[in-house]
Amino acid sequence: MARIEIPRFEFVARFARNRGALVGAVLIFLVALTAVLAPVLFPTDPLRIVGAPELWPGEDPDFPLGTDSLGRDILSMIVHGARATLLIGLCASAVATLIGVTIGAIAGYFGGWVDEIVMRTAELFQTIPNLIFVLTIVVILGSTLANIVIAIGIVSWTSIARMTRAEFLALRDREFVQACRAMGMGNGGIILGEILPNALPPVIVLSSLVVAGAILFESAVSFLGLGDPNVASWGRLVGDGRQLIRSSWYICAIPGVAIMVTVLCLNLIGDGLNDALNPKLRDR
Amino acid sequence: MTLPLEVTDLSTTLFTRRGEMKAVDGLSLAVDAGETVALVGESGCGKSLSALSIMRLLPDPPARIVGGAVALNGRDLVTLPEEVMLAIRGKEIGMIFQDPMSSLNPVTTVEKQIAEVLMAHGELGRGQARARVHELLELVGMPDAARRLDAYPHQLSGGMCQRVMIAMAIACSPSVLIADEPTTALDVTVQAQVLALLKRLQADAGMAMIFITHDLGVVAETADRVVVMYAGRKVEEASVDALFETPLHPYTVGLIGATPVPGAARADRLADIPGMVPPLNALPQGCAFAPRCARVMERCRHERPALTRPAPDRLVACFAVEQG
Amino acid sequence: MSLLALDDVHVHFATAGGLVRAVNGVSLELAVGETLGLVGESGCGKSTLGKAIVKLVPIAGGAIVVDGVDIAPLKGERLGEMRRKVQMIFQDPYGSLNPRSTVGRSVAQPLLVAGWKKDAAAERVDTLLGWVGLPVDAKQRYPHEFSGGQRQRIGIARALALSPRLIICDEPVSALDVSVRAQVINLLEDLKSEFGVSYLFISHDLSVVEHIADRVAVMYLGTLVEIGGRDQIWRNPQHPYTKALLAAAPVADPKAARARQRTILQGELPSPIDPPPGCPFQSRCPIAEARCRHDKPALRATADGGLAACHFV
Repeated sequence: MARIEIPRFEFVARFARNRGALVGAVLIFLVALTAVLAPVLFPTDPLRIVGAPELWPGEDPDFPLGTDSLGRDILSMIVHGARATLLIGLCASAVATLIGVTIGAIAGYFGGWVDEIVMRTAELFQTIPNLIFVLTIVVILGSTLANIVIAIGIVSWTSIARMTRAEFLALRDREFVQACRAMGMGNGGIILGEILPNALPPVIVLSSLVVAGAILFESAVSFLGLGDPNVASWGRLVGDGRQLIRSSWYICAIPGVAIMVTVLCLNLIGDGLNDALNPKLRDR
Repeated sequence: MTLPLEVTDLSTTLFTRRGEMKAVDGLSLAVDAGETVALVGESGCGKSLSALSIMRLLPDPPARIVGGAVALNGRDLVTLPEEVMLAIRGKEIGMIFQDPMSSLNPVTTVEKQIAEVLMAHGELGRGQARARVHELLELVGMPDAARRLDAYPHQLSGGMCQRVMIAMAIACSPSVLIADEPTTALDVTVQAQVLALLKRLQADAGMAMIFITHDLGVVAETADRVVVMYAGRKVEEASVDALFETPLHPYTVGLIGATPVPGAARADRLADIPGMVPPLNALPQGCAFAPRCARVMERCRHERPALTRPAPDRLVACFAVEQG
Repeated sequence: MSLLALDDVHVHFATAGGLVRAVNGVSLELAVGETLGLVGESGCGKSTLGKAIVKLVPIAGGAIVVDGVDIAPLKGERLGEMRRKVQMIFQDPYGSLNPRSTVGRSVAQPLLVAGWKKDAAAERVDTLLGWVGLPVDAKQRYPHEFSGGQRQRIGIARALALSPRLIICDEPVSALDVSVRAQVINLLEDLKSEFGVSYLFISHDLSVVEHIADRVAVMYLGTLVEIGGRDQIWRNPQHPYTKALLAAAPVADPKAARARQRTILQGELPSPIDPPPGCPFQSRCPIAEARCRHDKPALRATADGGLAACHFV
């Protein structure tokens, strides 16, 4: 019999085979590390005025990325902003995944009219332009971090629900599920214990992409000035700098690049996860 | 005289991340006109890759022919450029696959698919195609042939799809036909129809046929000569009668013992072969069958038996048989 | 009393093309300790019937009686009791085990569902793996580490876990290589003689059924066309479809293959959505006459103790 390596090790090897994904993972790790270490690296409040306003990057060695219109350290704000941005991305994705997987699993497993109702509802959500939907919810509920996370989660769950449903539809008639049914296992046990672990890989890939999407949503919301006023996310930094975009464009550009790189890395990671988890690509 | 197909020492290796695997290892076989040679073995023995090697249809990567020659009517196919192979495939050598449903293009009508083969080889122009295709469908016993011309594959049953595949394979009257498990996906009664059809077509056209199967019943019904493969190598070759009457290689003995024969006195147990086919990347040293063999000797574990000729028209690769 | 009794069982599926009568009035009995072979070509309803017996598909009519109890109304504890008596072995050794569950977990599952304690179940799993000839360390490994034949052994261990009285074997060896197929058939026979379990052995492979079954039932297009003792079916088949099926089966003996006279059945299986009127076999039957086209024959006793559904027996 063929000795096959331990699956977990194999997973890492497959992921690492995708060079882009590896670069993405390393960069995201660095971003997350700076976010965690932000209070250590920059113990002072990033929103405090520490120097002359509108210092260009490199102009003053104390402020490598320059200062904004009020004289706040941009590097400090980026590092602290990473905390808020990543937190929002992860939480929103978690909310979307939780809603999406629950609804998709129920629709896919039970089928019939349950499926009809759930999927028509999902379509209803998809007909509303996402950004406008997020803005509407934020305006109604109020601009707090939690509300923004919930709003993004509410608009992002549909794709995850569809993916989960498709996986469940394919898996629910497989023989191992029939075997469980024939031995009298309950629906809950079959859904959670048997089908879900097999349905998750593509959902995980999608969730990583939802993190990227959530970061973009949050940036847009903050850019439009509807973000949580107490949180200095990257989107808000871009928004704050927009009046000076003609003279001091770097104030917008630096957080913009941070968003771009992070989102790109998350997409690369999603790609790598897809390669590593998609059984069709195995043994190539 | 040159035979329609002569394969000499053909070797095909799979180059994978898990290492190089010798999927076909020094296979030689010859097929005469009007003769059917069955290639028998279990999954992973290299019988399908042998066929794909002969057709030069190997999935590359990972598979590549690493040695040997395939002489089709005296011309070596292994060294030919792909453009020349395109002209040869379908014209001089045809192939039928296991799964007829997925071998046909789902969005093209039966008529177009068969006509394409004919036109690609310059057998006829556009105008004559329909009549010729109709003729071919009649030849392969397609029920209601005229009406099926405009049918799409999904409107046909598995048996009918296989008839279409056969019509495509024989459209240009090739001298060699390779059938890779052509009836495995079919029901018993339809299988009998398709086997009878293949026999009739072969007899009419005097084609040389390689018939790949794992089913010894099908072998007994169709083959003149049988080549038994195990782990990429030929372990025994004999006429069909000799093989079933006095199988020599312990693997052949095991295979025949493991196949129940209806109507025979009921044996309490089937003779099974212990263990399983070794994976190609972990072949044992020596004879690949040694770990499962009932007649294994010390020598078998480190030395690989070569093919010997115990009778004029037989070949077997086994030390135990050599010793008698 | 018979272990399993089917009385006029119907199973219907609603499809886009119309109502499929997958099983159309099947009645048969299976005695304790018996192996009943159920043969037929694809779409004849044999697998569906097997699934109906373990309540994987609902029946549209008739009754399925296991050990004297009609299973249709069973719920809760009584249903669990029935499930312990009847287990199933599936066709696809690659699809019938959860790829993300260890072998130990898969085999223990029916025990845990039936309320066994964890350590008692673990102990039982060791015993079961021994019975089917797998090493004990198989427990911690995943299905993909095993070959097709070994996976089928795992499926058999799982089916045996609760010491069932009847096992529905749905094409258990069709996906296996010849040499491994013989191993699995021998294992099933050994287990039968050791534990007295009965089998409903569903297969399209006549030579395998001939080897393992005591009695054989032949299905065509959702109906039972013939049932009888194994020797009677093979030596003296009554129904023209049974005859055709036997004639079509390849025989692994070249001399016998050449010697036998056979008529190859023409045509293909009609669609179960739109079955022919009268006898389901009339569209392909070599001896069909006018009355076969509107009059559906019932099962009638044959001279040597079997039953056949044909006007001409």
